[in-house]
Amino acid sequence: MAENREPRGAGDTELDPVEYTLRKRLPHRLPRRPNDIYVNMKTDFKAQLARCQKLLDGGARGQNACTEIYIHGLGLAINRAINIALQLQAGSFGSLEVAANTSTVELVDELEPETDSREPLTRIRNNSAIHIRVFRVTPK
Amino acid sequence: MSNAKERKHAKKMRNQPTNVTLSSGFVADRGGKHHTGGGKPSQAQKQELHSGTSRQRQIKTSPHSLPEPDVNEQSSSKNMFKKKGGWKAGPEGTSQEIPKYLTASTFAQARAAEISAMLKAVTQKSSNSLVFQTLPRHMRRRAMSHNVKRLPRRLQELAKKEAEKAVHQKKEHSKNKCHKARRCHINRTLEFNRRQKKNIWLETHIWYAKRFHMVKKWGYCLGERPTVKSHRACYRAMTHLCLLQDLSYYCCLELKGREEEILKALSQMCSIDTGLTFAAVHCLSGKRQGSLMLYRANKYPREMLGPVTFIWKSERTPGDASGNRQLWIWLHPTLKLAILEEIKTVCLCSEPIKSDVCVPNPLPTPVQEKSHPELADDIVGKKRKRKNDEENAKPVKKIIGDGTRDPCQPRSWVSPTTGIIISDLTMEINRFRLIGPLSQCILTSALKAAPVHTGEEDTEESPHHWWTDTCKNSDSISLHQRQEAVFQLLGGISSPAEIPAGTILGLTVGDPRVNLPQKRCKALPDSERCQDNEKVRQLLLEGVPVECTRSFIWNQDICKSVTENKISDQDLNRMRSELLVPGSQLVLGPHESKIPILLIQQPGKLTGEDRLGWGSGWDVLLPKGWGMAFWIPFIYRGARVGGLKETAVHFQYKRSPNIPGDFPDCLAGVLFADEQAKDLLEKYRRRPPAKRPNYVKLGTLAPFRCPWEQLTQDWESRVQTPEASPIASTPGGEKSDLRRHKVPCAPVPGKIHHSSTEAGISENQLTEPEAMDTGCQDQAGTEKVLEQVATENHVAATSSQLCVLRNRKLLKQLSAWCGPSSGDRRAPCRDQQELTTEACLSILTPFPRALVWVSLSLLRKGSPEPHTMICVPSKEDLFRLSQDHHYHGPQESRHSDPFKSLILKEKEKKKMEKRQNRDTASMGLAVGELTTGQEALTRGLWSGPLPGMTSHCSRVLLGFITQGDFSMAVGCGEALGFVSVTGLLDMLYSQPAATRGLVLLRPPASLQYRFARITIEV
Repeated sequence: MAENREPRGAGDTELDPVEYTLRKRLPHRLPRRPNDIYVNMKTDFKAQLARCQKLLDGGARGQNACTEIYIHGLGLAINRAINIALQLQAGSFGSLEVAANTSTVELVDELEPETDSREPLTRIRNNSAIHIRVFRVTPK
Repeated sequence: MSNAKERKHAKKMRNQPTNVTLSSGFVADRGGKHHTGGGKPSQAQKQELHSGTSRQRQIKTSPHSLPEPDVNEQSSSKNMFKKKGGWKAGPEGTSQEIPKYLTASTFAQARAAEISAMLKAVTQKSSNSLVFQTLPRHMRRRAMSHNVKRLPRRLQELAKKEAEKAVHQKKEHSKNKCHKARRCHINRTLEFNRRQKKNIWLETHIWYAKRFHMVKKWGYCLGERPTVKSHRACYRAMTHLCLLQDLSYYCCLELKGREEEILKALSQMCSIDTGLTFAAVHCLSGKRQGSLMLYRANKYPREMLGPVTFIWKSERTPGDASGNRQLWIWLHPTLKLAILEEIKTVCLCSEPIKSDVCVPNPLPTPVQEKSHPELADDIVGKKRKRKNDEENAKPVKKIIGDGTRDPCQPRSWVSPTTGIIISDLTMEINRFRLIGPLSQCILTSALKAAPVHTGEEDTEESPHHWWTDTCKNSDSISLHQRQEAVFQLLGGISSPAEIPAGTILGLTVGDPRVNLPQKRCKALPDSERCQDNEKVRQLLLEGVPVECTRSFIWNQDICKSVTENKISDQDLNRMRSELLVPGSQLVLGPHESKIPILLIQQPGKLTGEDRLGWGSGWDVLLPKGWGMAFWIPFIYRGARVGGLKETAVHFQYKRSPNIPGDFPDCLAGVLFADEQAKDLLEKYRRRPPAKRPNYVKLGTLAPFRCPWEQLTQDWESRVQTPEASPIASTPGGEKSDLRRHKVPCAPVPGKIHHSSTEAGISENQLTEPEAMDTGCQDQAGTEKVLEQVATENHVAATSSQLCVLRNRKLLKQLSAWCGPSSGDRRAPCRDQQELTTEACLSILTPFPRALVWVSLSLLRKGSPEPHTMICVPSKEDLFRLSQDHHYHGPQESRHSDPFKSLILKEKEKKKMEKRQNRDTASMGLAVGELTTGQEALTRGLWSGPLPGMTSHCSRVLLGFITQGDFSMAVGCGEALGFVSVTGLLDMLYSQPAATRGLVLLRPPASLQYRFARITIEV
């Protein structure tokens, strides 16, 4: 850990781009269950919404329908995750409820040296994330 | 008319016996009697005119001639026909007459000959159909061809003969041994060993050969693509599951020696400009795998040798006085020869060693040599039994490793001055690559760390001395446990991309065959394992500690003993069958093999913005002989296997250059391109001209190869020609545009003319583009061209060959310029624009003929293919693109085919010559030789030297695509290729900032251009 502290301190004084290249690593994530949906900014919004809807509705006769799904959004995609969840709720005529959780995710940035004499460094950066549970309730 | 009739008749009479044409005394008699008789009717008729008496006699006798038709038959066909004509003319025309007497003996003789001929004709069937096929339909029966007895009696004999014959023929086709004998283990091993002599087989060969289309490439037999349809399935495996590949054909070179000496020697071959070198700190410690480009010593921007990856063995004790280190360089087999030679010269290693390092080799060789005479004897077949007994005494060994290598050939070399030992470890180590997020699950479930030997109860029995020895050392036991702990942690990480790139982990595992699942299953990540947060976090941040990278696989002797002491599959299965409870876990105890392995993380897609970490995975290095023992367990855990095609797809989606094909500046790449061009040309020629694209009309000069040399040359001269001084000719907006229209006009028509007239004669068409080009310009013969030649000569003196830009700083700069300037980036962009004129020059002066690796993604429709042309869009194209949302791109207008008339002329000429040949054979020969000397023109292909590449079509050519397809990862067409740096800078400079980096793509067999965005990823 001592090693990690040191580059973090150096991070404030902005590392020289000539000596290091920044490479972002994938965020660490847990194994995915079938009812987890990770929202991103690349895929079309409608497609992601349809995917969630499909999971909730299940097949043609409603088989394999999930009673609850988890929508995860990280960073910029938080907005979109909320949007999807609210759209789902609005289109369900009150049969869906939403419960949101927020968290902080540690992201690892790798600093790749440009010269032979330097060690590669890693920096830890925090980003906020949201996990929305969308679940069915029996309408009263 | 009469001719045709005659021929018809002749055909009818063909099968008639020839020996009965009224020969012998019969005719002679008659001839003697009459004026040469029926032999020559014309003559007879003439004589008829003279002699009226004879005519009268003939009329008298004519009614007698009718009942004896065989007189007619006896005469030759021509006679008969003529006679018939005579008959029509009138009854008096019959010059036939009955002989007054017959000699019985001669007559009977003639009849006998006739009868025998007829009999012969009946028994001998003229058509090549089987007997039962000659039967009329109503007499045919089911299964006649199988069962002779279903035929009529009279034909049974014949049919039997035929059936025997067929059996005989079949027997000649098949191997001389029965199926059972061929399947016999010893014979099979012998046969396999024989077949491995020419091309090396990987250990997984038999497995692959059953399921893949195999190709012989680079001296190996490799699986190219699966026989099942699985393109998409393999892609899914790479993205979501796990794809397994056997990369054992990659070659490993080992360097041993003092660290400083090795570094000093190798530093000549690489440059810090292209990235990290062998001396990078984290690689040197043995913690990470490194990768770099090798160049010929001290020739940095030019004479590329190829890309390699390398791993250093971690130092056992930091304060080791000797400072001896071990370095493995892994490279593609096509690059091996050149790199090995270069490393040998750089390290001054010239003396081959045959002593200890060569020991593993002689072991299989005596068996190989012995197998030769045995095979020869087996063909005889009689001695087989005895031979087998002999073989039982000393069983034939399967070839493990390289079967093609000559045992006398040295595999390691030592340098007397520096003490560096280079050895070639090709096929000594297996390398399996697992790609995809599930690869870690598969590894952790398939492999179990070797159990530590605790008791001393049976140390003397165990064949694994090295392991018992290490188990006595408490330090090494604790190290083993640490390695095991790290390995177990991997199972809790959901993707290999989360781990630092190139992480190395050493491990000693037990026999993976022991805990093979009953059925093929799918290893899934275990959520319980993912809970151990703090340790995982530490692993992600720091990577694997240096000590854990140690592995016994670096030690040759241990590897050898591990290979030799492998329990055979047969024995293992026997032991399994002898278990008291069937299906229970097999416990081998101390007899279980321990295998040292090395795991290397392979970073996936590192560059660019999207799909980071795609295609990351793990490489597993195993000692030889253990390939299949690990292969099957991996597959039983749910890995899907891919071949060479899947490797290419992996490289393409990773947007990294594929090894032999995408290195046009290295020798292997050039050879690969030549071979590919040859294959494609052959394939093209096999189609009829009407069913293949006419590339001349499509304006595609080189549909089967990418003429990089000429492309870069053209761009260089384009930039330099109009102005006197090259410095003033820095690309400037309007000027370059003007040039674009002015320059091509002058030289091109001349060149076309030249090429069309001298197409066949010039010899050095394809091989020497430079010489050819100068030749062209001599023809044009203008002052401008002379100038051009002078400048070119000057340039040729300074930089002879093309090179690929790999300087990271320059690439970064280029990639920044390529992107479109969005709102927030405007400020730095303007800054760079001001730089451009000087900056361009600063790039171009050291690299006048450089190429740069680019990736392209199509904006709208279209899927590119290899050899697609990358072109510069004109201003109207960009304007229309911004106006019309459905605008796909401009169309190239159809070109004229100047070769078509030439080919037609040639054909005419050939026809004429053929006719002449018939007349005078000797004359024709000479002419024929002349025509064969000329290379035959292929319709639809540009023949002879190519004219100016860049300005041949309506859009200026920038480069070519080497890999391209519809990308399932992105959902649109994606391509990778090279463009000329000069051209790229010229284009970027003239384009407005908003649409910067847009290019047009046109496949070789299409006239439609499509828009694509160019990016350079560093």
